[in-house]
Amino acid sequence: MNEAGIFIQLFFGLCAAGIILTMLIPERWCPKALAWFGSAASLALLWSSGKVLLTGDVFHVSLWTLPALGTLTLSLDRLSALFLVVTALVFLPASVFSSGYLKRYLSHYSLRAFNVCYLALFASIALILLGGDVLLFLLAWEAMSILSYLLVNFEHREETHTRAGYLMLAMGEAGTLAATFALLLLAVAAGSLDFSAFSVAGKTLGSGVRWAVFLLSFFGFGVKAGLVPFNAWLPRAHPVAPGNVSALLSGVILNLGLYGIVRVNMDLLPMTLAGPGLVALIVGTISAFVGILYATTENDLKVMLAHSSIENMGIITAGLGAGFVFTAAGHPLLATIAFVAALYHMTNHSLYKALLFLGAATVDAKVGTRDLDLLGGLSKRMPWTALCFLAGALSISALPPFNGFVSEWLTLQTMLRSAELSSVSVKVVFALCGAGLALTAALAVTCFVKAFAMGFLGISRSTQAEQTTEAARSMTVPMGLLAALCLLLGVLPTFAISILGGAVKPLTQASAEDALVPAFFASSPAHAQLPSEFAAEFRDLGAQVGQQIMPGQGLVVMHRGGAQNPVVFAMSTSYLFPVLLALLGITYVVVRFGLARHRRVVRKPPWDGGIRRLLPEMTYTATGFSNPVRVVFDAILRPTTRDTGETVATHFRAAIRRDRQEVHIVDRCVVTPLRYGALKIATGLAAVHHGRLNAYVAYSLLTLVLVLVLALTIFGS
Amino acid sequence: MVNCMSQWVRRGLATGIKTTRYPAREEKAPGVSPGLPLGGAYPEEQACELVNLCSTGALSWHDGQLVVDYHRCVHCFRCRYGATVPIGWQEGYEWAAVSADATNKPWQPLGPAFERSTHILVVDVGDCGACLNEVRQLNNPYYNMHRLGFFITPTPREADVLLVVGPVTDHMRVPLQKAYDAMPTPKRVIAVGACALSGSVFGPSFVCGSGVRNLLPVDVEVPGQPPPPLAIMHGLLVAVGRKPSASLVSPTPLDTRESVTPL
Amino acid sequence: MTNMTQTNITELANRRCADRVHVRSGAPHSLRELECKPPELADICAELFTEAGYSFAGLIVEEETSQWELRYVFYGGDEAGWVHVVVRQPAADIAFPSISSEVHAADWHEREAEDLFGLVFEGHPRLGDFVLHNDRWHENLGPMRHSFDGSNPVTHREPDLDWRPHRIVEAPGAFAMPIGPKFSGVTESVHFLLETVGEDVIRTIPRLFYKYRAVEKIAEGRAVENALLLAERFAATTAFAHALAFCQAVESISGIAVPPRARVLRVFLAELERLRHHAGAIQEICESTALVVASNQAAILEEELLRLSGVFAGHRYLFGVTAPGGLSRTFEGTACRAVVQQAQAILKRLDQLEKMLRTSSSFLDRLEEVGIVSERDAKNHGLAGPVARASGVGRDLRKAQPYSGYEAFAFDVPLEQEGDGYARLRVLFAEARQSVKLMEQAVASLPGGQVTAADFKLKPGAALGWVEAPRGATFHWLRIGDDGRVTRYRLITPSFANWHGFHMAAEQFAFQDFPIILATFDLSVAENDR
Repeated sequence: MNEAGIFIQLFFGLCAAGIILTMLIPERWCPKALAWFGSAASLALLWSSGKVLLTGDVFHVSLWTLPALGTLTLSLDRLSALFLVVTALVFLPASVFSSGYLKRYLSHYSLRAFNVCYLALFASIALILLGGDVLLFLLAWEAMSILSYLLVNFEHREETHTRAGYLMLAMGEAGTLAATFALLLLAVAAGSLDFSAFSVAGKTLGSGVRWAVFLLSFFGFGVKAGLVPFNAWLPRAHPVAPGNVSALLSGVILNLGLYGIVRVNMDLLPMTLAGPGLVALIVGTISAFVGILYATTENDLKVMLAHSSIENMGIITAGLGAGFVFTAAGHPLLATIAFVAALYHMTNHSLYKALLFLGAATVDAKVGTRDLDLLGGLSKRMPWTALCFLAGALSISALPPFNGFVSEWLTLQTMLRSAELSSVSVKVVFALCGAGLALTAALAVTCFVKAFAMGFLGISRSTQAEQTTEAARSMTVPMGLLAALCLLLGVLPTFAISILGGAVKPLTQASAEDALVPAFFASSPAHAQLPSEFAAEFRDLGAQVGQQIMPGQGLVVMHRGGAQNPVVFAMSTSYLFPVLLALLGITYVVVRFGLARHRRVVRKPPWDGGIRRLLPEMTYTATGFSNPVRVVFDAILRPTTRDTGETVATHFRAAIRRDRQEVHIVDRCVVTPLRYGALKIATGLAAVHHGRLNAYVAYSLLTLVLVLVLALTIFGS
Repeated sequence: MVNCMSQWVRRGLATGIKTTRYPAREEKAPGVSPGLPLGGAYPEEQACELVNLCSTGALSWHDGQLVVDYHRCVHCFRCRYGATVPIGWQEGYEWAAVSADATNKPWQPLGPAFERSTHILVVDVGDCGACLNEVRQLNNPYYNMHRLGFFITPTPREADVLLVVGPVTDHMRVPLQKAYDAMPTPKRVIAVGACALSGSVFGPSFVCGSGVRNLLPVDVEVPGQPPPPLAIMHGLLVAVGRKPSASLVSPTPLDTRESVTPL
Repeated sequence: MTNMTQTNITELANRRCADRVHVRSGAPHSLRELECKPPELADICAELFTEAGYSFAGLIVEEETSQWELRYVFYGGDEAGWVHVVVRQPAADIAFPSISSEVHAADWHEREAEDLFGLVFEGHPRLGDFVLHNDRWHENLGPMRHSFDGSNPVTHREPDLDWRPHRIVEAPGAFAMPIGPKFSGVTESVHFLLETVGEDVIRTIPRLFYKYRAVEKIAEGRAVENALLLAERFAATTAFAHALAFCQAVESISGIAVPPRARVLRVFLAELERLRHHAGAIQEICESTALVVASNQAAILEEELLRLSGVFAGHRYLFGVTAPGGLSRTFEGTACRAVVQQAQAILKRLDQLEKMLRTSSSFLDRLEEVGIVSERDAKNHGLAGPVARASGVGRDLRKAQPYSGYEAFAFDVPLEQEGDGYARLRVLFAEARQSVKLMEQAVASLPGGQVTAADFKLKPGAALGWVEAPRGATFHWLRIGDDGRVTRYRLITPSFANWHGFHMAAEQFAFQDFPIILATFDLSVAENDR
């Protein structure tokens, strides 16, 4: 067993030790214990999976052999390692955050139960990602479902929490069932439950089975990933969970759905048909759009973030779909780009969504409310939280130099690469989806400008917001860590792309470095992708600046298309960031010490038209800010408004009430018709239960005859 | 549609240039200014009748001279049309004068940087509507203050000049103070109209002040009720330093009377 | 709209308050004074307003030595004349019934009386925080009472930290966007709260009286000539109309007969002012829609009319021209004819402007169907002037209760039905045309003779002077004491009524329509706040 294996064992050991210790210590030490054990386990996991990801030193171990079911195997390849790294990067700050955050539950709910569920969940997630055969995978999956339900329903005395958690569990189980069928189809074809046997057998499958496997796995795992139309549980379950659990749900557990899709359709049964990719692309785009639309019009911080998770999952899925199409069409290089973009976005999303959820949890814990219409002015009272939340908001809005920009940019560039395909209809679909994704990016900016501005800037809209204070360091430091990671991944995209490319290469057989990160500094023309005169142009532009200190690989993300589409796209946040800092610095110095040397700066209250006092009810509310979006997309949101006036005497109006009801579009278009249809069928079938004894006797006779006939036909021949 | 759009262009061109040449040349068109009473040497009998006729006490008799307190003249024309021998009258409109208030600092106009680009914040603290209307006329084609670089701005943050019209009503004290505080330096205050200078017939009372200088440091004063647009333009030019202050201000210091006694 | 004749009024009075009807003697216009008891007040006023079709002019509160006298002034056309419903109560009894539910036009009059006199109007749901803002003034100050000394500043309380604007909209996420008191470029000081949920404004709450100068209070104790100065200068964009109303009140009290030449010249000057004011109003409407060329064209016309007034009368806003008994000086016929010639030339260009505006679809888009006030709402709120006439409520004091010789002139009162911004604009143009027509008739029929009545003495008494000012029906109630000084001066202005009804036009619209609706209403804050 190599070093990675040792640390995996250490990881499981720490989780177990944590669980045992929790039983022994007094309850008030539980948060601290969780923080210590959680972070230690995260670090162990990070070390082992990081090693595998960076060095490619895969690790494969067989555990016990169960009779008639096969061997349980743990297998850690680079793809799993990537997901494990992301998991660990989210669990680490979430665990540290817990030490301060969980104090509020001290005498209300059992912290011991929380600890046990948390660490067990961590272990089960790791097992899913390490699973090398169907049985272990499914066992770990079920454990994860149940444990996440327990954690979501932690505040079990609230009725809404129980219902939301139960919905998550029920829909999750339905999805798991579909995914199980997909895996079983593959197992039947391969004759064994081991993942390594599937890829060999998969080559012989016909397109019908391939479609079945794809649809079952895509929509089955898609429930977990929060894709339309099966994401009704997401906006209900994520907000009711405790803050750190929400961060895990969004940052880690949604990724498991993606892992399932990726594992089945890239590794176990590589894509050969174009159709499934298009399905994924379209479903992804629709999810992205619906998610961000509802996020923009939502006022509760956590519900908004939950809808935004749907959006990001949609973007990732769209990237995956593009990758599937490119794989099926025989463009491995483009497929690599697409998959790298999707996985990069997944990593980024985990980081900044965890950051935002921790920020929302901090606000909720300190102020006591999550409603944007009651917040405001928090940046003066919680400066560090505000700064971290700002970093998260900038990342999720895809603004340079943060990480969201890089992955969003790569995804959109992938869509543009479709010009190299040959089928016109496919290109049209790509174009439409690309436009849809661009629209979601614009809405995302609106959404998070609203979230940050209404929540943190301006004046406080309630006394709770006015009197709040900064959170403890145990809560702000993890957020700062995540914010720093966001900035890091944004400023050094080329390193991230290389690492991600390493995870994708075994699956697509093409190198991301070749496609995306040309080496300007290589003295030998090893990278034949760049014709010399082309490279010379870039060198003339100064791309070789700092050659002595920069690593051999470039700092520019660039792709040069093929013969049919010789378009170059390029960007470099690595250069952008220092230039940005330099410009800001120079401007500051010039203005402060040069132009405005003799000027005095005086601080005055903002100009408000001369009114005596600016009251909170005179400032824009979150509802008002997002109202234009509501109006523009009225056809999708379809609210029902009712204005009622109340007069206290003729001509004197005392109140004008505006009631507004909205039903989510997915509920309207999918869930309600399904429910209606199911009820109709059930009512129809219920006609059989009419209570007449004679008919029941006849049923028995009928069944007997049927069984006899069947027996004769099956066993007679 | 083409016809609709071009009709405005044609109409505009057909109207020709109406703009006054002031300050390059004096404006002599009739009706641009109501004029002001002229102080000076008058026979005592006539002067006493005039002093008694004046409804706001703007006329007074000192050492053989009829002194006109231009802060108080409300253009009732009694001294012109109600007297047996009318008072001397000065047409013209260059009435703006630097405030004689004791700040003991030499007058500093805004300076060359602002000569061709000044932003004005107009605050109405109880004005009757006439002064405000004259300020509005400043940007009509006849006067076109934009050619001189004067612009009206709605926000004090960008304003160089605070133009106040009206006797300072009680409710507007806070907004006026806030507007002044919100302006960055350098800034100048112009009080336009008899109400802003002395409260004219309205103040002081329990809701009305007796002029802006009780609240803010006033730099340029433009008398009249209302001062015609050219007088206000002259005031702006004085504030910016392109025109010298007029010498209409009464040589004696301003009255310390606190209320206007009904006659 | 039935016109009540004298017999009907008598019948109404007999039904309600039998032996307490007084008929003013010697008045050219019929004036019936109904004294009624407080419980009957609301019914009588409702009957006059709704069934008999009278218009509500205003409420005049007078504090006499031992009693309160509340005078509700109604007027109709021609024979219907004036009806004053008077309620008297001992000084200690400050509770009166509110008639605002029946005669909604009385709403703000009652609020003002409550704020300034300390009276209580039972049944009025929204008293307080009107003239004297609650977050700056003590309660129950009663500044209009004789016992209050109006010359000294009042110590204020600390700003009330609990003061909240009175909001009506209850919706999740609703807020009240503040505008003012200092806003836009060159505007009067007024504060608005626009209640909205984000895109469209659901309700407008104006907060007025930032320019309250207590003209009614400081007029008390002044000589009549000095009170005339106040009348001219409190809302100087229509200075002549207010001065004329004041003079007519004085002449009515003292029974002064104004010579015919002065009457015709007064009509001449009043119409000159109306023409100039309407040119300015048209300029503001064009400016609000950002149609710059049209706005400048209208501004040229306004400036030319100002210069014309300045040349003719010596002052661009016609200060110091009228005085009790006639005019302060004479004007030659040649000068008048020159003015008419220029006015005709200006009118031609104004007509051209109107024609061009009617074909500018982008301009009309901003005005048509925007800020609609229905006829019923206009009548109920007692709107006045061109605003009311654009909604089909056509009473014009020059026709209904002619003054200063208007009965001898032939002119139309333009009426529109749509009640939107475009209708209000059309009414302004049409009235400008009628003004020039009146000026021509005045010059043609200018009689010779004196311009001021021969020596007259001021008598004590009280009377109402009224004028159809450019903005609408204006009423000045004056009471002169034995010493020849003013003891009560009540100003009822058209802007007061129109501001009251402004919120009806300013509801359920988008933010960017707000300045346009405001411009089409041609409101004067100075006239409202006094």
